[in-house]
Amino acid sequence: MKSWSMIFFAAATLVGGCVGKVGDPHSGGSSSSGTGNNTGSGSGASSGSGSGASSGTGNAVVSGVGGNAGSSTTVITGAAGAGVTFCDTRGISVTSQVPRLTNAQYDRVIADLLGVQQLKASNNVQPSTILATDQAGGLSDLGWSSYQTVADLIAAQVMGDATLKKNFMKCTPTGDGKTCLHDTIVQFGRKAFRRPLTTDEIARFDKIVSDGPTLTATGTVDEIATLVLYSFLVSPSFLTRAEMTETSDGAGNYQLSSQEVAQRLSFMLWGSIPDDTLNTAADANQLSTPTQILQQAQRMLMSDKARLKIADFHRYYILMGPNTRWDNINKDPALFPTFASALVPTLEAETEKFFDAVAMVKKGTFQDLFLSPTAFVTASTAPLYGLSASGFTTDFKEATLDASRPGFLTRVGFLNAYAFYNRTSPIHRGAFIMKQVLGTPIGTPPPGAEATALPPASADLNTNRKQVDAQTTGGVCESCHHSYINPAGFALESFDAMGVAQTKEKSSGAAIDTASDVVIDGNAVHITGAVDLMNKLAASPMAQHRYAERLTSYLYEREGDAMDCGTVNDLAAKIAPGGYTLQNLISDLTQTPQFRTRAVGAM
Amino acid sequence: MNRRVFLKGIGGVSLAAPFLPSVAEKAAKAQGMTTTPPKRLVIYFTHNGCLTNRWWPKVTTYTNGAATLTADMLKGQTLEPLSPYIAKLTIPRGFRSMNAYGSGQSIDPHDQAVGSKLTCATIDSANKRYATAASLDHVIAKQINPNQASPLVLSVGAASTQIKEVVSFSGPGTAFPATVNPLTVYNQLTGVFGTGGTTGGTGQASYLVKRKQSVLDLCKQDLTRYQALKMSKQDKTLVQTWMDLLRTTETGIVPTASPTSCSKTTAEAAPFTATSANVMAASPTGKITLGSVLGNTPDPVGDANLATSFTKGGDMFLNLIALSMICDSNRMIMMLYPGYVTFNWDGIMHTHEHHGLSHRTGDFTVGGACGVTGVLDMIWQIDKWYAGKYAKLVGLLDSINESNGTLLDNTATMWLPELSDGAAHNLNNLPIVVAGKAGGYLKTGQVVNVEGTGTPQMGNSDMSCANGGNIGNTGSSGGMLPINKLYVTLMNAVGCTATGMPGGGKVTQFGQFDGTGSSGGITNPGEVTKLTSAG
Repeated sequence: MKSWSMIFFAAATLVGGCVGKVGDPHSGGSSSSGTGNNTGSGSGASSGSGSGASSGTGNAVVSGVGGNAGSSTTVITGAAGAGVTFCDTRGISVTSQVPRLTNAQYDRVIADLLGVQQLKASNNVQPSTILATDQAGGLSDLGWSSYQTVADLIAAQVMGDATLKKNFMKCTPTGDGKTCLHDTIVQFGRKAFRRPLTTDEIARFDKIVSDGPTLTATGTVDEIATLVLYSFLVSPSFLTRAEMTETSDGAGNYQLSSQEVAQRLSFMLWGSIPDDTLNTAADANQLSTPTQILQQAQRMLMSDKARLKIADFHRYYILMGPNTRWDNINKDPALFPTFASALVPTLEAETEKFFDAVAMVKKGTFQDLFLSPTAFVTASTAPLYGLSASGFTTDFKEATLDASRPGFLTRVGFLNAYAFYNRTSPIHRGAFIMKQVLGTPIGTPPPGAEATALPPASADLNTNRKQVDAQTTGGVCESCHHSYINPAGFALESFDAMGVAQTKEKSSGAAIDTASDVVIDGNAVHITGAVDLMNKLAASPMAQHRYAERLTSYLYEREGDAMDCGTVNDLAAKIAPGGYTLQNLISDLTQTPQFRTRAVGAM
Repeated sequence: MNRRVFLKGIGGVSLAAPFLPSVAEKAAKAQGMTTTPPKRLVIYFTHNGCLTNRWWPKVTTYTNGAATLTADMLKGQTLEPLSPYIAKLTIPRGFRSMNAYGSGQSIDPHDQAVGSKLTCATIDSANKRYATAASLDHVIAKQINPNQASPLVLSVGAASTQIKEVVSFSGPGTAFPATVNPLTVYNQLTGVFGTGGTTGGTGQASYLVKRKQSVLDLCKQDLTRYQALKMSKQDKTLVQTWMDLLRTTETGIVPTASPTSCSKTTAEAAPFTATSANVMAASPTGKITLGSVLGNTPDPVGDANLATSFTKGGDMFLNLIALSMICDSNRMIMMLYPGYVTFNWDGIMHTHEHHGLSHRTGDFTVGGACGVTGVLDMIWQIDKWYAGKYAKLVGLLDSINESNGTLLDNTATMWLPELSDGAAHNLNNLPIVVAGKAGGYLKTGQVVNVEGTGTPQMGNSDMSCANGGNIGNTGSSGGMLPINKLYVTLMNAVGCTATGMPGGGKVTQFGQFDGTGSSGGITNPGEVTKLTSAG
């Protein structure tokens, strides 16, 4: 994997051991020159070890080979003079020219191209349900066989339905159908292959038509048309997001054709094929300059398809998905009698709606993600927010919360997901903020750490905070937990395990203390509580950089690639002054040389 | 090497499938030797260990480190359902799989156990914790599968690319996630079903054959364009793999023999009853609960689909495994089960998921108090459920006759576990059973201490939590022979060679390392002669 971490800490504020320990050079590949950072891979999200990030899909901060010699670095200096350094390499990443459609993309492409969402002849399942599981290696025989089976079913379904048929054939065949089918080959092929067919390709498909009577049961035009559609759907050029143009960009890389740019645009912003408008622009060569590309990108961002894609990005950003903490919320009925498992999808949905509203509807900024008072509330979550349920129904209603609830981290979705069955978890909330929000490589707990017992409540340990503090005192735990992990979680102790505001510990009546020192941008910053923390996070260069890095990784489909360091820094710099919309950040990623060119080499 | 793959013909035409040979068989054929049924390896894989002392046969006396397996030894034990097959079983005692947490890498005990299981290689924490080498199934498939087809890797439950559920790797760092839909496998098989020995020739058949060829030519020419480009080596390989798949089917070749048993009629009859309707009823239509180490909140739709997958789905997979072997579309087959699901079927009604139960705490925490009342009984219910399905697979394969014995006789069908004891997470002293003699290579009907002549430990799974209390040592000591040697034995048993070519000599080693660390190469090469009929 040619990628490397993008952050290391200047030594000043490091309590020896925590982040430093994580910085074990990763075996596997030489580390490059330049910044020489090699932050270890121990920050992996491990669902088995109870650390904050639990999707189990592995960490984003990876070390290894990469980077050009002589790379510069961007240094951000904290108030106390401590530095946080990001890599700043720029270059064109080597990417595969022949990535196959993922199963998720396949379903969307078939839906957009032909209007088929369920296979009628196969239990009404989504087409990808009977494809072989996605895998990055070469196409397997089962994979190939399943593409053919599904193409068969789709072709039959489309040709058997008068409405769907029109998605394939815009003309009505007469006589032997050759003229109409030829036109269909040209027109449908253009969409299916995301580029115009070559004359040879058109001739080959024409030959299928003219051979049609010997290739079909009874030689009817419909049968031949079905065969043509089937042939498109099993063609490598349909199943692959190919990039073939070998026009030099004058700098040692290849310039993508307009059609290839269109393909990148549509898969990046929609996860599917270009629409007619985009295809027309591509064919008129109106996608070669950044301005031209931007115009299309901004148009495409207004589509609901973009909303779905960006929603998927934000799930990636906050580690939401199957098997994550978000999906497995459960609360003690004795302590939380209002909790029901039916609440879990609501808690996820209110979070998703928040991100969608900020990013796509209100055209908000990065800062808004942490500061916006917008919330989506139902009758079951209203009481959690301290609102009367009578103003709400089972459907979500947009509300404006008071100043105590800024941003997604004070929404009940996050607060529930990052809490235990019967109490809050400052460790999980803190680890999420340090790692996922600030991008601090805090590492994974050492073996057996999560088995460390919580000291029981007592006169001295009369709050959950004090118990957790004692739990993580001494031994190998203290350096990371006391300085890095716990403090951000303590600042959120004003919200209980269901996200309800609290000022006293339920069990003891003791006052909740939310003051703590949180390491932000290399410095321990005194935080008074949740609102203060959100303000600081919104303004934090590290948090801004982290978001930019996540966005780049997700949209460019490559995590933590050294060649994208400069791009990430550029985005972070746009975020910093405030007022820069997330939509503009997204479209900025279509403006880079990386977006218009490709490089060839060892991958 | 020319590849021929059993592809579904357009409109369901059958390309009647002769036993298309591996290289070794081609050579054997050329030498005029009779073609006996091929040998296959089946791996049945479960998570979270078991109650080891209830699992192994109760052997009173080992003589020279072996004992003839008797039904008495299985009475009351987890493997009791295998009693009818004792003459065909081998129970090797004393293997250790690679990369135990702490002595090997220190990333995660389960991720390491699973990632290193069939690779005997390290996992890469910078790449989703995937293994750094290809797994045994891919190595074997390349050698023995018709057309070098990829292994058939099936799983009950939801599809997953997470390391905890990925045992198969097609190459270093490249996961080969399992197929979870019986219908996908069934669809491929229907393209292989013969017409009972007749060859193509009617007008109808010939249009389908022509059609198939025309489309394949179209696809090949599509790929030819890519081959002309200045691509990376990795991309060239991807394109070549696809081209090889396409080059397989050639029109005009009249199949010489069609195993009459590879047919729709066979599939739909007992014991398989794999009709299209039954396969669809066993296949998922929507979300299946994936199962989480954090515990599972109830999800009516996902949980119902999970139950269907474990019961109807798994049973249908067993049928499809047998049919795949009968049709010779695959000789390297794996049947996997997920590790973090809550059992709620076949009379088992748990509220904790399997992994948490195996810890004895009820969740992912390690050690401390026995967290669930009756936890040992619950684990045993799961152990016995898995043993029942394994026995069903063994029985199914043993009920099918081939020319020289049963299908089972021509396989090595191995139940391979992730761990020994789930709370100890130990990889030594692994509970393993192999059914079938692989055409005669393996010596069956015995319990074998592969490590020496002593008496292997039954383990301490039962020592804690019978009546609450705290979790003590639930593992065992001994049983340290590297599992690499078992894999070498099995590779030889199914006909692999050291070079991958006929006459290449026996396989002598497998994997990156065989020590207790995670490096150091192979220090103990070779197969385990005691397990073979020559030994």
